[in-house]
Amino acid sequence: MHITQRPYLLNLSLLALAVVLSIAVGAVFVPPTTLVHMFLGRLPGLAGLGSWPGTFETIIFRIRLPHTALVLLSGAALAGSGAAYQGLFRNPLADPYLIGVASGAGLGAVVAMSVKWPESLLGFYTVPAAAFAGALITVVLVYMLSRSAGSAPTTMLILAGVAASSFATALSSFLLLRSQGELRRALAWLLGGSTVNGWEPVLAALPYVLLGLGVLLVSGHALNVLQFGDEQAQQLGLPVERTRTLLVVAASLATAAAVSFSGVIGFIGLIVPHLMRLVWGVDYRRLVPLSILGGASALLLADLLARMVIAPQELPVGVITALAGAPFFLWVLRRAQKTGS
Amino acid sequence: MIAHKKRLALLSVLVLAVFTWVACSPAGSNPEAAPATAVEQPIELIDGLGRTVVLEAPAQRVVSLAPSNTEILYAFGAGKQVVGRDDFSDYPTQAQDLPTIGGSFGDYNLEAIVDLDPDLVLASELNTPEQVKALEDLGLKVYLLSNPEQLEGMYQNLITVAQLTGHDQEAAELVDALKARVAAVDERLAGVSERPLVFYEIDSTDPNAPYTAGAGTFINRLIERAEGENLGLVMDVPYGQISLEELVVQDPDIILLGDSVWGGVTVEDVQQRSGWQDLSAVKEERVYPFDDNLVSRPGPRLVDGLEALADLLHPQAGE
Repeated sequence: MHITQRPYLLNLSLLALAVVLSIAVGAVFVPPTTLVHMFLGRLPGLAGLGSWPGTFETIIFRIRLPHTALVLLSGAALAGSGAAYQGLFRNPLADPYLIGVASGAGLGAVVAMSVKWPESLLGFYTVPAAAFAGALITVVLVYMLSRSAGSAPTTMLILAGVAASSFATALSSFLLLRSQGELRRALAWLLGGSTVNGWEPVLAALPYVLLGLGVLLVSGHALNVLQFGDEQAQQLGLPVERTRTLLVVAASLATAAAVSFSGVIGFIGLIVPHLMRLVWGVDYRRLVPLSILGGASALLLADLLARMVIAPQELPVGVITALAGAPFFLWVLRRAQKTGS
Repeated sequence: MIAHKKRLALLSVLVLAVFTWVACSPAGSNPEAAPATAVEQPIELIDGLGRTVVLEAPAQRVVSLAPSNTEILYAFGAGKQVVGRDDFSDYPTQAQDLPTIGGSFGDYNLEAIVDLDPDLVLASELNTPEQVKALEDLGLKVYLLSNPEQLEGMYQNLITVAQLTGHDQEAAELVDALKARVAAVDERLAGVSERPLVFYEIDSTDPNAPYTAGAGTFINRLIERAEGENLGLVMDVPYGQISLEELVVQDPDIILLGDSVWGGVTVEDVQQRSGWQDLSAVKEERVYPFDDNLVSRPGPRLVDGLEALADLLHPQAGE
């Protein structure tokens, strides 16, 4: 199959635009020329272009830039994992939370807050670390449960995931209802996620997102083969069992890292891969990278809206991804139908 | 098969270990190196998180992150030094003209706070330690004012904030005046023999299980100080729901509608609720709207709240 450059160029330009907008737009207005000067001033030999208040330095380089980076990583992780899961499970409804990452992370975070974990242990990373652990433990449990059942592993994986998710969610709700003072922190995490700001969360999430997405990026061919069904794939020489484990681990790693710091953001992981599939076709060698790029752009734009709609307050970005994402997706579906027929 | 499981378990342990390592790596450089040449005596106070906060001089640009903090600042004349407030700070009315920095989802707009260039951010227990750290990481001075347990603690909070803003004298006078008003209430109620049973309604979204306040809350303390008995004490939690059945069994003498201001609940609403008509307080028309802000914000208006409660619970006392 001939792979053209066009979809990549288009998606990269969209991502670049989203990044620029995300850095340029915020609660505090920074004039575009000042912004350009601020970035140029960071380059060697170009310092001293214009002047600006010191608060701008903090706002751009210590608030907006790391925030943009974290949103970009989260969007990429969610959409990339979503694409992989849809291929792995051969299920159009699969999203990165299908086998319990989100509810596991939620449970981890709520447990960490309700037992008043010794703060000194991990300091301000207690909650994200517990969320990360909760997500991975849930996925490992779900995986082992489905394996022990024997036949039809993908179906078992989905069923075990649904059961584990419900259980974890119920447990979180119970803990939340029992808690008193910590409830607010838990809610803040569940709604908005990032309880820590700056570059540290970006650096903490980066290795897992890179590792996870890296594996998914080279698994395009395997995902293509898996579309023929497990038995066919096995006959075609693909070690199905091992591939599945690898894909689940990679997608879970990336998703867990994103969820730990950004909270549970719905819809991106479901819609973006479908969009890319509608426009650029079903070849996973292309679908995974395009979903990663598209997911990053989509979440950046949604985050931008979330920050602008009721500024200076911020809406949880998940509200925007669902509110704007669902109608947009329906519109694309209708259009695809019309042009297709 | 088993080897597989082991490998998976090993992998997750490894991943967690790496995560922990990354999370624990040092948190960047600490930009605070105080200059040795301070002209004035620096202000050094320990805040609600046990952190030592040092100000070289009284704060002149304060951002308040809680309604109680805003009310405290304005109470002794530091209002002019306040440059920003959270969404819920609506008292005194001058405070509403200040730019807001968010807070309605428990989320504050860091950009807006930094843009105001404050020399002090006054946080409260509404704020999480993570939020305090986020602000500190941006190079801001943050003082977290802890919730007082008693009126005495509220006075101490007034004095503390006055020290941070350079209003020690005015605050001392304010505290004396507040204490005198509390003493006047105590004196007026000294001869009271009957303590009415009070049900304080915080939220009646579910009229079959309204929320109320129990032990450890200012609502409870002030009702008791106003010579009333708080029905909410039957709960073992500070805030919780109480069943309508329990309410009927206890049969309060007085019902206070703490949700009248924010929720628009009226006395008529209560009369319409099914099952509530048989309560003595409803039959005898001893249901009163009450401004919840007077008893839920740990600031100087707690004394207004106490006076209002005393008037409602014992209208005839001391006349």
